[in-house]
Amino acid sequence: MTADKTEDQTAGSFTENLSMLQMIELDACTQCRECLNVCPVQEVTGNPAVSPPEKIRMFREFIKATAGLKSRFLKPKEIDRKLLEDFTKAVFECTTCGACGKHCTVGIFTQRLWPFLRKEMISRGLVDFKILTDMPEAIRNTGNPYNLPAEDRYHPWLPAGITIAEQSELAYYAGCTGAYTAQPMVKGDVSVLNAIGDPFTMLKEEDEVCCGFPLFISGQHDMLEDLTRRLVTSYQAKGVKTLICSCPCCVNIMTREWPVFYGKELPFRIMHITQFVLNALKQGKIRITAGLKTRLIYHDPCYLSRGVGVIEEPREILRSIPGVQLLEFERHGLNSRCCGAGGAVRKVYHENAMAMGRLAIDEAVAKKADRLVLSCPACYGKVNEAMVGHDKQIPIVDIMELIAGLLERKQI
Amino acid sequence: MYQLLAVAAYIVYTVFSLRLLWHFLIWVRASHANRGVFRFKLSTSFNTVLLMAIDLISFRRVMIASGPLWVGSLIFHLSFLLVSLGHLRYFTDPVPACIQDLQPLGLIAGYLLPASVIWLLSIRTLSVKHRYLTWHNYLILGLVLCISTGGLLLRTVFRTDLVAIKSFAYGLLTLQPALLQDAYLFALHFALVLILVLILPSHIFSAPLIIMEARRREQELRMVMHDR
Repeated sequence: MTADKTEDQTAGSFTENLSMLQMIELDACTQCRECLNVCPVQEVTGNPAVSPPEKIRMFREFIKATAGLKSRFLKPKEIDRKLLEDFTKAVFECTTCGACGKHCTVGIFTQRLWPFLRKEMISRGLVDFKILTDMPEAIRNTGNPYNLPAEDRYHPWLPAGITIAEQSELAYYAGCTGAYTAQPMVKGDVSVLNAIGDPFTMLKEEDEVCCGFPLFISGQHDMLEDLTRRLVTSYQAKGVKTLICSCPCCVNIMTREWPVFYGKELPFRIMHITQFVLNALKQGKIRITAGLKTRLIYHDPCYLSRGVGVIEEPREILRSIPGVQLLEFERHGLNSRCCGAGGAVRKVYHENAMAMGRLAIDEAVAKKADRLVLSCPACYGKVNEAMVGHDKQIPIVDIMELIAGLLERKQI
Repeated sequence: MYQLLAVAAYIVYTVFSLRLLWHFLIWVRASHANRGVFRFKLSTSFNTVLLMAIDLISFRRVMIASGPLWVGSLIFHLSFLLVSLGHLRYFTDPVPACIQDLQPLGLIAGYLLPASVIWLLSIRTLSVKHRYLTWHNYLILGLVLCISTGGLLLRTVFRTDLVAIKSFAYGLLTLQPALLQDAYLFALHFALVLILVLILPSHIFSAPLIIMEARRREQELRMVMHDR
């Protein structure tokens, strides 16, 4: 590496990617470390060096060294490259589940802070996780971060007989992770939507591009405005008033960030599929009459519960199934524990993610649940993967996959 | 000795003010690129403001995290505030009635402050779950313990000439420091306070803002997907 490149990576302001509020948040951390008690990464690694307060402390040191009072009047302190690399590792080992922020004694919005600290490290060229840094190119070429053909986005799972309207006020966005890696989930989504009977539309396979979440979460924000505008304009052209999505990560970026990148309020409303299906149940558009004498345990996806506050709807749907006994994890709702799939960790810290997934499996088994219900394609993929070779086993089902099965049974 | 203390006081307060100002300037110069991240601005209703105030005063977030820590933190911060307010009588002439009225409470707080520090240090060193403290926090708690114990000793055992101390303190404020002699324990007490001011963590200014912002964010969570 050239001396110039090294200097680019270690010098310069560390505040350019942060808002004033985020700067104050960094300052507000009291280093009490209460968040360590709820951090899933701590639970599986036990390594305080990758803990939230340690990351904040290190980043404050970077700011102090480059923009502090002493650095202005005396010679700026040189930042040790090793320290920057350690920090980069720590900030990418995080699942961005936001549990630390929820339990923070001050209330730092960590679920939003970590992506911006990652952005700083990305912009300095310190991130060498190829699987992450290749994502923008993959999305540019194929529309999805998995670099899989756009023409394979729907047909492997979209059931025959589902009517997709050309134009409709209602649209369904499958999302890349669901469409390519959690197909029973998206198949369940469209089956339930079809059963509800309201006409819905979908974009063409090549037009339904990535929502931008994997780029946002990994600190690669350059393409976000373009992706957002492309998707919003496409849905607008179809006359969409409500966009339904089942992926919590997509829903999160659509509601929280899309309006920012779009520059104004979206011309349509975003709904999580459980919200839409619960309304349909309440309005009698669908009925779950088939009984299911079983104990279900529902895992709250971090970006759905802590992220956008959708907590009760999935539970209400599950409780509406005759015969179901709904169990809860010790930590659930706003306090839920990450299954390890979040924050791109499953891509770069596979073993940590597997260990976190197994904690969820172990608890579900210990609670004597018959099935573990998920409602996130990333969780779905990771927990299923964590089950392979694990001594404890439990059937895993996506909430819409489950409901679709019951509706089908009713129709039979 | 008094001249040395007076000079040190002016230096410390200058450094402290500069530090604060610089902190503020760094915040102001932060990027505005991602300000939209926090976009669901609640009209800050009376209800939200009330909840923010309750969070701030009650240390609700610490209470949720840990009961024992909450008891210690609440008593520590409250007694620190009362003791600090009580000390305003040395810097005002005439002493405002509200400060005079606080003196009995300030006296109780004077006993509670070192007790709360011992409580916090005990939790942080003995409890398996909470066994953690940065060296910086150790230093601050240690200093507060020494300062508060010193203050108590000055008040109860080694009673000192309050008139002389007030003349010195008030003189500092009016840039005419008065003579102070043979008040060694007070000099130590005062010097430790100056060290505390030098290393005072800036979160005492930023944390209240974030506590309030966190409450606002909690209130707005229901707006993200529901009440829109």
